[in-house]
Amino acid sequence: MKSKGKKIQGALCHVYLILLTIVAMFPLVWIVLCSVKGKGELTGNPTGFFPKTFTLEYFRHVIFDLGFINNIKNSVLIALVTTVIAIIVASLAAYGIVRFFPKFGSMMSKVLVTTYIFPPILLAIPYSIIMAKMGLTNTRIGLVIVYLSFSIPYAVWMLVGFFKSVPIGIEEAARIDGANKLKVFSSVVLPLVAPGIVATAIYTFINAWNEFLYSLILINDTSKMTVAVALRSLNGAEILDWGDMMAASVIVVIPSIIFFCLIQNKIAGGLTEGSVK
Amino acid sequence: MNKKNRTRWLFVLPAILLVMALFIYPICSSIFYSFTNKNLIRPVYKFVGFDNYISVLTDKNFWNAFFNSVKWTVFSLVGQLLVGFTAAMALNKVNHGKGIYKTLLIIPWAFPSIVIAFSWQWILNGVYGFLPNILVKLGICDVAPSFLTEKGLVFAVLVFINIWFGAPMIMVNVLAALQTVPQDQYEAAEIDGARSWQSFLYITVPHIKVVTGLLVVLRTVWIFNNFDLIYLITGGGPAGSTQTVPVYAYDMGWGTKLLGKSSAVTVLLFIFLIVICLAYFAIISHWEKEDK
Repeated sequence: MKSKGKKIQGALCHVYLILLTIVAMFPLVWIVLCSVKGKGELTGNPTGFFPKTFTLEYFRHVIFDLGFINNIKNSVLIALVTTVIAIIVASLAAYGIVRFFPKFGSMMSKVLVTTYIFPPILLAIPYSIIMAKMGLTNTRIGLVIVYLSFSIPYAVWMLVGFFKSVPIGIEEAARIDGANKLKVFSSVVLPLVAPGIVATAIYTFINAWNEFLYSLILINDTSKMTVAVALRSLNGAEILDWGDMMAASVIVVIPSIIFFCLIQNKIAGGLTEGSVK
Repeated sequence: MNKKNRTRWLFVLPAILLVMALFIYPICSSIFYSFTNKNLIRPVYKFVGFDNYISVLTDKNFWNAFFNSVKWTVFSLVGQLLVGFTAAMALNKVNHGKGIYKTLLIIPWAFPSIVIAFSWQWILNGVYGFLPNILVKLGICDVAPSFLTEKGLVFAVLVFINIWFGAPMIMVNVLAALQTVPQDQYEAAEIDGARSWQSFLYITVPHIKVVTGLLVVLRTVWIFNNFDLIYLITGGGPAGSTQTVPVYAYDMGWGTKLLGKSSAVTVLLFIFLIVICLAYFAIISHWEKEDK
């Protein structure tokens, strides 16, 4: 009797999860399918599921004719530089908080959470004024500086959780052997938390790659635009070419999804650990 | 001793300085500008006292945006929590395929906002969209519904998209929290004859409520501050029916170039969020004390 009830319950769970999976996956599946459909199929047969003719013409057009290749380079460069700087600064800080400022540390993580309350639109106004004053509007370096504002606090928060898992005994042993703090940090602690750092770096990269508002406000020169904003300009065209828009969307979303799947088990840990302690 | 104290500061100082430069200075200058008639294009400005605040607080469009924001936040949050929670509990129950479900279900979370906008605009497109056309084909609707332009529908559609995007994040975190609940407590409860809703209420809820509370705080702030989704999908239209405070502030600052007034709007938004968060944190620290 009981096991029958459990079985029904399990089956219902599967039905529910399958339904959710269909809803969750549909946009991705649909944009990928639409991006490779032949000319005329998108508007001619809106409910046709699979492409009748397969073509990569939209991708070619978007990347080369519309110059998306250049925007992709910008986004990769900006996201990479942001990630490198944020990870260096944040891992030093996270380690410092965990080892040298344990009391001050819990307050500091609260301060980090409060940075999350700052509305990006509130920061956007002074950022645009400051960047204009410093002559950094329309530059990639200006955007990197602004991106550090959301990357560093988040990275510190995630990394604190990972550094807490390093047993202090290992470090003390190294220090007895005569290594100084920086040496202990770089040659003993870092290798131990490397997987956590990689996960944090990937997360930082995705967020910088996906960012939209600051990029919209600070860059209006097409040659400096990130993919997200360049993508939006397709929407401003007189005649919308949905094939181009689908192909460009696929180009932007695929790297995010691949990276996300790589770190899926680490993000949850990072978020809850960082927040509970 | 003195040297030891100095090196430890080397670790945290770069982060402290950067965070201060990127937050303290901008917020101060925003507050400063909110008392001026600063314009996006003209370099000269003068003090106007509380004029910006008065004109914002007496603008009926601001209040429209504010109530839209509240509505948007409450419905999205409740929806995300409901879907995220039930999905996490279902995942926690199933024995087979858990990993594959989880991987597929978090995919919306990875979507950049511009791609969320494009894919849903395309699926819901009034002429060529998959959903309106399939609804007509299946005979559910007589005419293809225009999900993104009809006043009565747009708001609900936006909330749906936000739930689609945000539920995975809740799901992943609730699932992680559920796995910290000791299994033997459930077994003991079952032996004592507890029903499943009782074990949920008296074992599951107390264990995960602090994590959930923090999630709710973070999500509330994120949804309230969200600019991209609404700006990209509807731009606040039709006729201001989906305009939220961040979109209103953006239109004020970059549309009509009134940066001073726009600053006043964002400062008000910030104050409102601080009040909300203080209330939340009071509740959560009360729970934490209960646990000890």
